[in-house]
Amino acid sequence: MGVVDDNEPPSKRLKGPPGVSKEDTLHNQIASTSLEDSMARPLSLQRDDETIGLKGIIKKHEFVKIINRALYSLGYSKTATILEEESGIPLHSSAVTLFMQQVLDGKWDECLNTLHNIGLTDEALIKSASFLLLEQKFLELLRKGKHMAALLTLRTEIVPLSINSARVHELSAYIIYPSQFLALGLSDQDTDIALSRAKCLERLQKLLPAAIMIPESRLEHLVEQALDVQRDACVFHNTLNSELSLYTDHQCGRDQIPSKTLQTLQEHKDEVWFLQFSHNGKYLASSSKDQTALLWEVQEDGQLILKHTLSGHQGAVSIISWRHDDSQLLTCGTDETVRRWDVGSGKCLHVYEKPGAGLISCGWLADGDGIASGMSDKSICLWNLEGNIVECWKGHRTENISDMAVTSDGKIIISICRGSTLLLFNRESRCERIIEEEDRITSFSLSKDNKFLLVNIVNQEIHLWRITGDPKIVSKFKGHKRTRFLVRSCFGGFEQAFIASGSEDSQVYIWHRGTGELLAKLPGHSGTVNCVSWHPMNPHILASASDDCTIRIWGLDKPKCKGTTQSNGKVHHQPNGRT
Amino acid sequence: MDIDPRQYENTAINDDDIHNIVLSYLVHNCYKDTVESFITTTGVTKPVVFEDMEKRKRVFMLALEGDALKAIELTEQLAPGLLDKSKDLHFDLLTLHFVELVCSRKCTEAVEFARTKLTPFGDVQKYVEKLEDFMALLAYEEPEKSPMFHLLSSEYRQHVAESLNRAILAHANLPSYPAVERLMQQTVVVRQYLDQEQDKEGLSHFSLKDFLKS
Repeated sequence: MGVVDDNEPPSKRLKGPPGVSKEDTLHNQIASTSLEDSMARPLSLQRDDETIGLKGIIKKHEFVKIINRALYSLGYSKTATILEEESGIPLHSSAVTLFMQQVLDGKWDECLNTLHNIGLTDEALIKSASFLLLEQKFLELLRKGKHMAALLTLRTEIVPLSINSARVHELSAYIIYPSQFLALGLSDQDTDIALSRAKCLERLQKLLPAAIMIPESRLEHLVEQALDVQRDACVFHNTLNSELSLYTDHQCGRDQIPSKTLQTLQEHKDEVWFLQFSHNGKYLASSSKDQTALLWEVQEDGQLILKHTLSGHQGAVSIISWRHDDSQLLTCGTDETVRRWDVGSGKCLHVYEKPGAGLISCGWLADGDGIASGMSDKSICLWNLEGNIVECWKGHRTENISDMAVTSDGKIIISICRGSTLLLFNRESRCERIIEEEDRITSFSLSKDNKFLLVNIVNQEIHLWRITGDPKIVSKFKGHKRTRFLVRSCFGGFEQAFIASGSEDSQVYIWHRGTGELLAKLPGHSGTVNCVSWHPMNPHILASASDDCTIRIWGLDKPKCKGTTQSNGKVHHQPNGRT
Repeated sequence: MDIDPRQYENTAINDDDIHNIVLSYLVHNCYKDTVESFITTTGVTKPVVFEDMEKRKRVFMLALEGDALKAIELTEQLAPGLLDKSKDLHFDLLTLHFVELVCSRKCTEAVEFARTKLTPFGDVQKYVEKLEDFMALLAYEEPEKSPMFHLLSSEYRQHVAESLNRAILAHANLPSYPAVERLMQQTVVVRQYLDQEQDKEGLSHFSLKDFLKS
């Protein structure tokens, strides 16, 4: 039978529903699931097994307690006390409340006494808690200059606990080395004592079982867990973290994926073969069979305007590569030269060519001080900016399909070799790794974190490979059409959670990377979509290049005002769409 | 594989060398009376440090008994500046005194002593660690039962006393180890090395004891 503490204010007694006798509820208390055998019994006479919520799995007294704890953490102690009174559910048993107060007041002997009354049965736990308390007592004595008293505490109280002798060892040195423990932040200020006692209490809380002393931030932790679960379950999740709200379950609708053409760019005079946003998302570069590359600026309102026309190539331009700082870019094309351009002025800074061999693909080296190019004579060459070849590797074959990528740390060069094989060449270790595909590879694309490779295959599948360690296939994406032409795909969206690809049926395809589910097919183009590029900063913008000589910019389709699942993050978003 | 004893016959030993070896042993251990009679019997020259032997013996005995402060005083007289040069030794001697205080349960004095005399060594990490070990003795009501009980042992005192003895000899430009000790060590090491080279399995071990008996 529980004992009602006489010190409790009257309002905390006898609050059970009418008709319920005292014996009854105490019975229930004994029968209900409790975490410790001698758990401190709440003095309220409400039933311990009362639950709330539809599923009946939330215990009411636990629920109220963690809310109470959260109120105290937020600093609303008046409200918290009233809650304790009104609900009849005290946050902690009176013994625990007393204990906590004693710690904060520094009444160590009383504290140690109370420790034995708060309902712990584990001897080892009691010892560890006592150790923490006595340690604090010891350090405070030292701080006050009472060295012999501190020594006495150490000898007569701490050492007999026979635990943690390494710490005892350290503590004994503090007696003569005050500087050492001063470094722990115990100075002469009164506020510091309060702080260090609060810290001591924190350590005790972590040590003691949660049912006895409710851990801080428990409610916050539970809420964060729930948000994580919601976010992970959200297939269309394409919004920034700041958009997560507690009011509704987070569920991005289909409307978070770009699906509406916001702008059509028609300046190219022939098929547009390639495009890519700059790393900072401020520019888009596109290249075409019309032998030019176009540089577009992305404006504040999301509209793109033509900034420069980069002409000079004598053939269709098939590849563009942005320098890591977006100040320059490389273009490469069927005329088998590589040109380097200045983004600000649009001027051609250099033309790279080699007599007797053509440059058929290109990429920047990490530091931007050199470029790599695949050559028609089946080698890969490294050039410095001035146009001299610095290094050349032969010994593997690069096909005429011009694809090359360099990881952003400059260490690995990836190229297609022998049709259905990709070569990953590590420049530092000189070691080569191979990815064998089941069919001929048409193009590939590297993820931002350099860990994944998206490979387009002749059989109309897109394979996602993990390339850290031993290369392994992670997922496959299908649905789009590719029979005759080169079609490219890319990663994109929030945390690169989506895969987008062009297709010969003139649509843009979007899959969820994690599940492989085809999320959207975007019609609009009137010719094969050759290449797509997702905006690196704004997860709601996508660009596509097509044989119909246009570029389309896709964005969100008229977002409805559903709570906070809107992302009006930073820039480049057209709330009302545009054709 | 043992050396053919006949080879010994071919090696010449000088009598004077033997006398010096014996003398160095006696001097090292401060056996003053024995040195006197040895000199008289054999006729070797009196060593220069004859007078100092008495003092050095006193210092050694004081350190062995744990009377460190006295030992330090005498050392300063006998070998001025030695302790300033050799901080390790100075520290070790002071800790002997600390240990004395702890053993006589004079805790307050021990703390005071540690604070005033030992903490000045605190700018070097190894002294800090050693000091921590010594301070840990204070935490226990019965230091003999603490994890650091070895610091109270006579072996420790012996170790310090011997270091002191060696340091004083070195300070006076004398060898710090008696020749006979070195010779014995040399023999064992060389023989072990040879055994290893000859017999990779290391089955035959050189035993100095057996060798001396043979």
